[in-house]
Amino acid sequence: MSGRHPFTLLALAAALPALAWTLPAPWGPAATLIVALTLCLPAPRVARTAFFTAAPFWLFLFLLHDRATALAIALRLSTMIASFVWLVAILPPARLVEALVSAGYSVHVAFLFAATLSAVPALRARAQRIVDAQRCRGLATRGGPLTRLRALRALALPLVLSALHEVDERALALETRGLSAGTRRTPLAPPPDLWVERVARWALVAGCVAAIVGRVLWRV
Amino acid sequence: MAGLTLADVRFWYPATERPALDGVSLTVAPGDVVAVVGAVGAGASTLLLVAGNLAPRVTGGRLEGSVRTAPSGIVLPTPWTQASGMAFSVWDEVAFGPANLGVPRDEIARRVDRWLARLEVTQVAARDPATLSGGELQRVILAGVLAMEPALLLLDEPTAELDPAGAALVWRLVRELARADERCVLVATSDLDAIPAFATQVLWLQHGRVRAAGPPADVLARDDIWTDGPGATTVAGLWRQAGLAGPVPLTVADAVARVR
Repeated sequence: MSGRHPFTLLALAAALPALAWTLPAPWGPAATLIVALTLCLPAPRVARTAFFTAAPFWLFLFLLHDRATALAIALRLSTMIASFVWLVAILPPARLVEALVSAGYSVHVAFLFAATLSAVPALRARAQRIVDAQRCRGLATRGGPLTRLRALRALALPLVLSALHEVDERALALETRGLSAGTRRTPLAPPPDLWVERVARWALVAGCVAAIVGRVLWRV
Repeated sequence: MAGLTLADVRFWYPATERPALDGVSLTVAPGDVVAVVGAVGAGASTLLLVAGNLAPRVTGGRLEGSVRTAPSGIVLPTPWTQASGMAFSVWDEVAFGPANLGVPRDEIARRVDRWLARLEVTQVAARDPATLSGGELQRVILAGVLAMEPALLLLDEPTAELDPAGAALVWRLVRELARADERCVLVATSDLDAIPAFATQVLWLQHGRVRAAGPPADVLARDDIWTDGPGATTVAGLWRQAGLAGPVPLTVADAVARVR
C-alpha cells in the first residue's frame, strides 16, 4: 500500500471513519474496523500502537454506557484510531507535500497536513528523550501505577514547554527557507497518480455519500 | 549596493520594556564578513533576526529605525529545529529551500550537489536527516541555506555543534563566500580565536548597543573588550597575562612576528 498515491491513502483513511460513523452499529463500524485492522496488520508495531491507543477508550466506554452504545462508540473510535495510526505509519509527510504541491495546493496547506502527520512520531521521540534524561538523573519512571503517574507529571511540563520553544525556532527556520516565498514550489519528485487510483478515490467518496444518504433515508 | 544597511535601529521583543537592540547602525557591503561578538544577551542573535527580516515580522515586537536588507538566509545554532521535517533524505533537505523559491528542478539538482560537496557531506546525501549527528546536520542545514543563494548570509553560532575540523571548514567557506562570491556575511560567534582568519569587521555589542566596531585587529585588541566584554583570542589573553608590552597580537602568527 505504501506505493499508492498519497491522496488514495488519505481518502481511504478518511473514508473508513466516515463510514464507521455513518453505517448502522454494530455491523457497519465492525466491518470498517476489520478493514482498518487488516491495513495495520502487515506491520505489527502499527497494529500494536492502534490496539494500545484504543484499549483505554473501550474500558471507559463500557464503564460509562450501556453495552450496545459502548460497543457502537468503541468500534467507531477504534476505526478512527486504527485508520489514523495506519496513515501516519504508511504515509511519509514528504510524499504528501510533493503530491499536494503537484496538485496545485499552496505549500502552506501541504505543510499543515504534513506537520499533523509528523507531529505524533516527533512528540513521541521527544518524550522518550526527556524520559531518558530524567532516568539518567535518578527519576523512577517504571514500576506501579503511582510511580508511572508521578513520572507522567514530571514529563508533561518539559514536553509541552520544549515543544512550544521548538515551534518558535522552527517557524524562523522555515520562514528563512522560503516557506512563505509566495512562489509556486517546485515539485521534486511528484508521485505518479494512476487513473485506477483516481477512480478508486472517487468510488470511496461516492460510497461515503451513498452511506450518508442511505442512513438519512433509512432513519426517515 | 550594500547587502545590509541598518540605521539607528531599536527593537523590542513583545511585552518587554528594555530594547534588545538600542541605536544600532551597521553597513555590510558585498565581500564583507562582519563578526558580531558580545556577552550572552547582548543582542547578537536579535541583530541577525532583524537583518534577516524575521524580527519583528515573525517574532513579533516593535522596530524603530531603518532596515534595508538584501534577500537573506539564516542558520541558527540548533540544527534539529531547523530541519524541515519533510525530507526523505539529506539531498531533499538541501533542496527544500530552492524548491520553495520555485527554482527549476535541474538548477536545484546542480545547486544541491554543489553545496553538499563544498560542505563535505555528499557521502550522507541519501541518509535520513534524522539519523545524522549534530555536526553533520548543521552542515546540511548550512548547505540548504546556501543552496538558496542568498545575497546576505546570516550565521548564528554556526559552529556550535561542530568539531574543530568541521568548524575550520565552515570558517574557510565563509571567507571564500565573501571573497570569491561577493556575498555579505554577518556572523554571531563566541569563537573569538577564529575571527581574525575570516572577518573583515568586528561589531562588539553590549546590552543591545554598539560598544565598538572596526577591523578585528582594532576591536579584539582593545583593553576594554578584555575587561568588560567577551574576552579576547587565546593568544591575546596569554599575551596580556604574561604582561608583555606593545600592541596585543590576536593570532599565533601575529605573536611570532611581534616577538621576532
